[in-house]
Amino acid sequence: MNEQHPTSPRGPRRALLATAAVCAALTLAATGCTRGEDDAASSAADEGGGEGRAQVLDEAASGDETCSAADHGVEAFDLTDKTVGFSQSEAESNPFRITETQSIKDEAEERGVDLITSNAQSDFAQQISDVQDLMSQGAEVLIIAPLNSDGWKPVLDAAESASVPIITIDRPINGTACADFVTFIGSDFVEQGRRAADQMIDTLGGEGEVAILLGAPGNNVTTDRTDGFVERLEAEAPDIEIVFEQSGDFTREGGQSVTEQLIQTEPDIDGIYAQNDEMGIGAVTALNGAGKAPGDVAIVTVDGTEAAVEHIVDGWISAVIESNPRFGPLAFEAAETFGAGEEVGTNLIITDREYDTSNAEEELGNAY
Amino acid sequence: MSPHTVPRSIRDRVDRDRFLRWSRDYGVYVGVALIVLFNLAFTPNFLSLENFRTQAVQVAPVLIVALGMALVIATGGIDLSVGSVMALSAAMISLYLGYGPIVAVLIAVVVGATAGAVNGVLVSFAGIQAIIATLAMMIGGRGVALVLLPQLDGIRNPGLRSLGSGSFLGVPYLVWIAALLVVLVAFLVRRTVFGRRLVAIGGNRRAAELSGLPVRRVLLGVYALCGALAAVAGALVTARLQAADPNSVGVLIELSAITAVVVGGTPLTGGRVRIAGTVAGAVLMQLLVATLIKHDLPPSWTQMAQTAVIIAAVYLARDRGRT
Repeated sequence: MNEQHPTSPRGPRRALLATAAVCAALTLAATGCTRGEDDAASSAADEGGGEGRAQVLDEAASGDETCSAADHGVEAFDLTDKTVGFSQSEAESNPFRITETQSIKDEAEERGVDLITSNAQSDFAQQISDVQDLMSQGAEVLIIAPLNSDGWKPVLDAAESASVPIITIDRPINGTACADFVTFIGSDFVEQGRRAADQMIDTLGGEGEVAILLGAPGNNVTTDRTDGFVERLEAEAPDIEIVFEQSGDFTREGGQSVTEQLIQTEPDIDGIYAQNDEMGIGAVTALNGAGKAPGDVAIVTVDGTEAAVEHIVDGWISAVIESNPRFGPLAFEAAETFGAGEEVGTNLIITDREYDTSNAEEELGNAY
Repeated sequence: MSPHTVPRSIRDRVDRDRFLRWSRDYGVYVGVALIVLFNLAFTPNFLSLENFRTQAVQVAPVLIVALGMALVIATGGIDLSVGSVMALSAAMISLYLGYGPIVAVLIAVVVGATAGAVNGVLVSFAGIQAIIATLAMMIGGRGVALVLLPQLDGIRNPGLRSLGSGSFLGVPYLVWIAALLVVLVAFLVRRTVFGRRLVAIGGNRRAAELSGLPVRRVLLGVYALCGALAAVAGALVTARLQAADPNSVGVLIELSAITAVVVGGTPLTGGRVRIAGTVAGAVLMQLLVATLIKHDLPPSWTQMAQTAVIIAAVYLARDRGRT
């Protein structure tokens, strides 16, 4: 790129100082007298948060294996005396992560447990060092929302030698339950895919052409939500054909761009299965822009954010399969039970609700 | 051997050089023509007004960013921070929309230009290499944007929404704006002293300094302009998406923009700029992605196809500095 060149006669130092001053001034100015849309009515609903209904365990899906402090090789403890460390994987910029972190924080406060948190901003190496930092800061129980399932060996070893029990939430860590970690609490993503397929079959009456907006490639959530959907369609509705599968990267913009291309090539598409709400909302924007009316294309999404459930009410989205992020109560309950020396299930699968035209209006308050 | 005969090996090399030069200057147009022909033959519903409108709307933001990038690259620099400037722009629009869409967009553009000017100061006055200075802005800019607006914010303002989805004479506003900016930047490069100077700086900075050109001021202006263009792109993406999303807007767009510029025949070494080629480069990459999506090929294919085009372009450009 640029060749090194003679610096200013006033010296690079003054230029740097001036730059720092400009940056500071810019930030101040930018935040000085803001006025967003409808500031007066800024609703708490937009903030995400842990107000909605807490998670419920699906006893049948959860399996019978259990783990106790004795099995895990640690002494029983009283959770209220312990410091809990929470490692979040992705930036709290989407409703799922905001609600998840908030739920953990709220539950810790309610129980009067000391909590220290970290956020790896979607950087796996960062998350590994985050967890190690949490332990050196004195975390004695760990709750981890892992970015990936693999690559946790160094953390698991360190936690074992320090006798720190680990609870993983929303995505599993590959390892032996009760030996490497205490328990996994999360949704069954394959089941979410199957239920999305059920909704699609219902809405389309068992025949038609559908498209899938895939999540980020190489992510196990994407694979699971695809597998469940495809498996159920093949079994129950052979007359529904999947004609298009493209990634929208779990973002609204991705969902919008891909859907715009889709409706050029397949103008008669009957249904769109979006693997998260953001992509589904992007698809709504694209269909709206192309002059389609609500209901022309059946859209089924997964997550249960407020914005998506509102689109059921206005007719654009047919159904939303929930993926409940409010892990706080269950995670702390598991930690407490485990600390008391009792048995805790090692694979705790939660029941996710679903929203469709029959319940969207009254259930809107439970969306996040 | 008579003194008038040119040895065969040299003649071959001259022919080869001429071919390489021709293909690096015009190859991108051939590429666009080929991909259009392929689609006309094999893609259902490709030949429709709606389809061309979709492609034009989708390429507009990348194209606008690529225009600024072309200017920066012409000076021998690079700007990695354009995506983060788009995020800042999106955050500004959400924060200031209460004053109306025009004020919000103006503030976003001013903030974008200021962020670009900070890059310019670091590069020209503090003597930091462009790739490092703009890398810092790339990381810091998105950080600031996320502090200002931590999560996606839906836009309901009808004025801003119509900017993203409305059209004039059947052509979307986004496309009008992109076309207008292409004309302005082409005019800037060809007809103004500023344009001549920025190319001269990229060609030989020392010579430009020795001949008394205001090198630092021109560089400052070029980076500020690149920031302003990125902010415009950020505003348009926000209007189109009907949401300000500082977390994902403009992620990796710097690579798309650099690709469009390089594929379009502007050498990374600077000293030369091709605006029409940049437009064609952006269109080529857009059509490439669209073709693979329309034929429902896996996303990994898209990445491989893009890589192949970039390698071809860089191969053709590899001895451009010497010509």
